[in-house]
Amino acid sequence: MNKIVSLLLFFTIFSTFTKNDKQYIARQGQVTFFSYTSVENIEAQNNQVLSIIDIENKEIAVSMLMRAFVFKKDLMYEHFNESYIESDLYPQANFKGEIIGFSPKTPTQDTVIKGTLTIHGVSKKVSIKTNITYSNNSYTLTGEFVALVNDFNIKIPAILTSNIAKTINLKFKFQYQPHEN
Amino acid sequence: MKTLKIFFSSLFLITLISLSYWMVVPFLKSSDKKLDDVNAAYNLNSSEIVSNFTKNKTNSDSLYVGKIIEITGFVKKVNFINERKTVILYTKNNKHGIICDTNIDQLEKLKSLKKNQKITVKGTCKGFLMDVILLNCYIDLNPNE
Repeated sequence: MNKIVSLLLFFTIFSTFTKNDKQYIARQGQVTFFSYTSVENIEAQNNQVLSIIDIENKEIAVSMLMRAFVFKKDLMYEHFNESYIESDLYPQANFKGEIIGFSPKTPTQDTVIKGTLTIHGVSKKVSIKTNITYSNNSYTLTGEFVALVNDFNIKIPAILTSNIAKTINLKFKFQYQPHEN
Repeated sequence: MKTLKIFFSSLFLITLISLSYWMVVPFLKSSDKKLDDVNAAYNLNSSEIVSNFTKNKTNSDSLYVGKIIEITGFVKKVNFINERKTVILYTKNNKHGIICDTNIDQLEKLKSLKKNQKITVKGTCKGFLMDVILLNCYIDLNPNE
């Protein structure tokens, strides 16, 4: 059931982006998360994040597969997917939002993206500071923000609470090209 | 009596070393594995797997995600976005492709690839967004198909 909800959410997010020449796509966006505690530092990276921006409507959609996060150690990957994120039930994380005050032809700008982030089947409104650069008909979006583990109903087993931070730092970088296909 | 003491001390030491090894090794085991000699669970062409995902994503997720699969197709492009070494394969459906993030030891093969060259990639399937995503890929320059 949760898979169907994720699937519907994914298609809802991207179906509102009817293809036009105002759209730019990043198929290999990068999202990195960090969890720092005195016991253990955990870092993982996903380099196949999908994102589309519509420069006319100033909209952005992002979707990523949770199993595509790469960890340094196998055990971290297993804990993340099986115990915390439950990737079989919630295979994707999604974001849909609006780029506030976006000026498409400005070479570089700092702005805020407001929207809804869905992780582990839980949706939450977020505001994310972003830097956008425009050069040679391509856009690069970079930024970082902090997410609270509790906000997304992610349960950490008592024995591991000292290993996982309550706040997770997330960094992102998307390089967009015109959406031709 | 002394022999018995040595025996139990040795047994205790061996047990301690074995337990430590069993508990510590998983923490040290790298997730970056070589797949050259690993048998693939499925062998398909690039258009077949995309067609399967677009027709029935739930079923394809359960068939392919987490499995090592081999995909044969034609090179669309090679890129090094975010310092990754990636090859993208064409499919019959222009909207979709196969994104193969390659193992570090495939760099020379990756650099030698030409557009439209027929290759087989073997990697761990992570699922499908707009493209099928394969990680830790091994490249076979001489596909058997």
